[in-house]
Order: sequence, then structure tokens, then C-alpha cells
Amino acid sequence: MKILLASALVLLSAWASAQDEVGPQGPAVKMAPAPVVTAIQGKPATVPLSFRVTRGYHINSNQPKSEFLIPTVLKVEATTDIVIGKTTYPGGQDMSFAFAPDEKLNVYTGDFKVDVLVRPLHSVQPGKYIVRGTLKYQACDNSACYPPKQLPVSFDVKIAKAPPPPRSNPAQSPHAH
Amino acid sequence: MKRNPLILFFVAAIVVAMLSAGIRIARNNRTNRSTHELMGNLAPDFDLQTLDGKNLKLSGLRGKAVLLNFWATYCGPCKIEMPWFVELQNEYGPQGFQIVGVAMDDATTEDIAKFAKEMGVNYPILLGTESVGQSYGGVNALPTTFFVDRDGKIIAREFGLQSRSVFVDHIKRALSQGQSVQAQK
Repeated sequence: MKILLASALVLLSAWASAQDEVGPQGPAVKMAPAPVVTAIQGKPATVPLSFRVTRGYHINSNQPKSEFLIPTVLKVEATTDIVIGKTTYPGGQDMSFAFAPDEKLNVYTGDFKVDVLVRPLHSVQPGKYIVRGTLKYQACDNSACYPPKQLPVSFDVKIAKAPPPPRSNPAQSPHAH
Repeated sequence: MKRNPLILFFVAAIVVAMLSAGIRIARNNRTNRSTHELMGNLAPDFDLQTLDGKNLKLSGLRGKAVLLNFWATYCGPCKIEMPWFVELQNEYGPQGFQIVGVAMDDATTEDIAKFAKEMGVNYPILLGTESVGQSYGGVNALPTTFFVDRDGKIIAREFGLQSRSVFVDHIKRALSQGQSVQAQK
């Protein structure tokens, strides 16, 4: 049992190490585990997705200040049961860097959060559904930039049954005689 | 014999740390070796399209010192170097020096051309391909710049933004090296 545990720890760490890789292989943006959001059939719900940019790097915000810069964009795959609504991005920070001290870039550093609006169809069966997508970003450090990357994103939406509509009673109608 | 769980954990942690370090070192060596192996050897030849639809073959520049700059329109540090390159092309061009930019971009040719025009670029810009990038060690960080002597051999490479004086030193060295220089003397 202990050997198994130790082996699992080793494998987990090796995997984590591969995820952490930065520098020449390209800086990493990581996604924190997304909370399971409960949505009621036919009602919208917001899924908050949290990301972290590795220290020493920055990525362009969703609204960078130059047409040549690549914005950070979350693309969520369409599903048959859940309508994917608006994606809300945070405003970036205006920062200047050593390579261009007179120019301000609008970037994300450290932690940032992207909200995704989801609305399950009325007809969808209650249960847990996985939604997948990708976060496209392009990162730089103080002296170099790295090619655009696509980070796989996934989150669970728990769909609950809508409460039954209030029952109408024709016998109580004031017009009934 | 009963084993202390704390010791087991400690041993596992050491193994984990060693494995992680091994993976990192192996990966770094793989990257460095591929670019390191280029040094002193002939620059991998390529035939790429220029912004105006012509083709440029690197080996066609044999006899000139070449600064080969991999860049992209989204790369801020690349933008800093370009005005220097314009000046350096003017200054050292008459001595047999040629700058070649290779755009490693997803942007359209029109966008790359617009960017180059805005920067006042006075040297050819080629549309890079992944295979050419791979032949130069992957070119994962931009800018990446190689300096090629008159015989077509790579004499230096720089990753990331460098000071102008670093470029000048390498250019002077590239101009002064190679059989072509010896023949002229």
C-alpha cells in the first residue's frame, strides 16, 4: 500500500513537473480546478474559471492595445444540452516592460478569472455534464515572447430539475360561476 | 521491521525531486543540444517566400555576412530590435552584410507587410515555416537571432532581446570570418 502511494506520488510529481515547464518550451498558464456549478433546467448560471500566469511572464488581456497582439480568448465547445452564453473577461493591467518602457501593454499577470454563462435547455436530463474548451494565450517575459498556446479547459455543470410550475385552479377564477 | 511513515515520505520526496530535476535537465539538454550543434556548422539552407512573393534562398547569400532574425508581429522585444537592424543594414550593408528577417507568425502576409512597413524595415522579410524553425533548433523564443559568416557558417546565436552592442560585435565578427575574407586579403 505504501509503495503504491509512493509510486503514485512520484508519477503525480513527474506529471506536475511537465505541466510546470516554462522558458524555452513556452511559459505556462494553469487553470485551477473549476467549481461544480449547479444550474437549473432552462435557467442561466455563471461558471467562474480561475487561471494563473506563471511568475515572470505576462499574457495579453482580452483587449490588448495593438492590433498585432494576440488576445487571450476562451473558446468553449458547443454542447447539445447546454447553451454557452457570454464570456466575461477581466480588464487587464496597463503595464510597461523593460523591452518597451514608454509603451503600456494591457496584460494579465498572476491570477485572473473568466466567467462563462451557461444555460441548460429545459429538456435536458438532470445530472452532471462536462463542458470543454481551450484558452488561447500568447505569453512573453521581459526579453522574449513565445508562440501562442492553447490550454485545454474543462468544467462540470450539475443540472438540477426545475421546480414544477405553480398549478392553476380554474375553480378559483373570479369569472367562474 | 516497522517503517516510519515520515521516513518513507521523505524518501519519496527525494525521489520525486530527483526525477523532476532529471526530466528538466533532459529537456533543456535536448533543446540546447539542437541549437548548440548548429554552432560552427553551415546554417541550414532554406528557400522561403518574401513579402513581395519572390523567393530567397539562404545559400544564395554566400559571400555575405548574414544576420538571420526570427521574429513575429506579436513580439514586443522583436519590435525594439527592428529599428537597430534598419540602422545596422545601412551601416554595414556596403561591407557585404545582409539582414534577413523570418516572420514566425500566424498573422496574414498583409499584416506582416503592414507591420514591416510601419517599422521602416529595409531588409527582406521571409514567411517562416515550422520546418525551417525546427531546422534552427525549434525557435521557441522570439526574437532568436543567428549570425552567419561569409562561408555560410553559424558563428553566434542570441535568444531574446539583446543590446545593440551585442549585435554589432557579432556582425563585425561575421564580416571578418570565412574563406571569402581570406581570398579578398
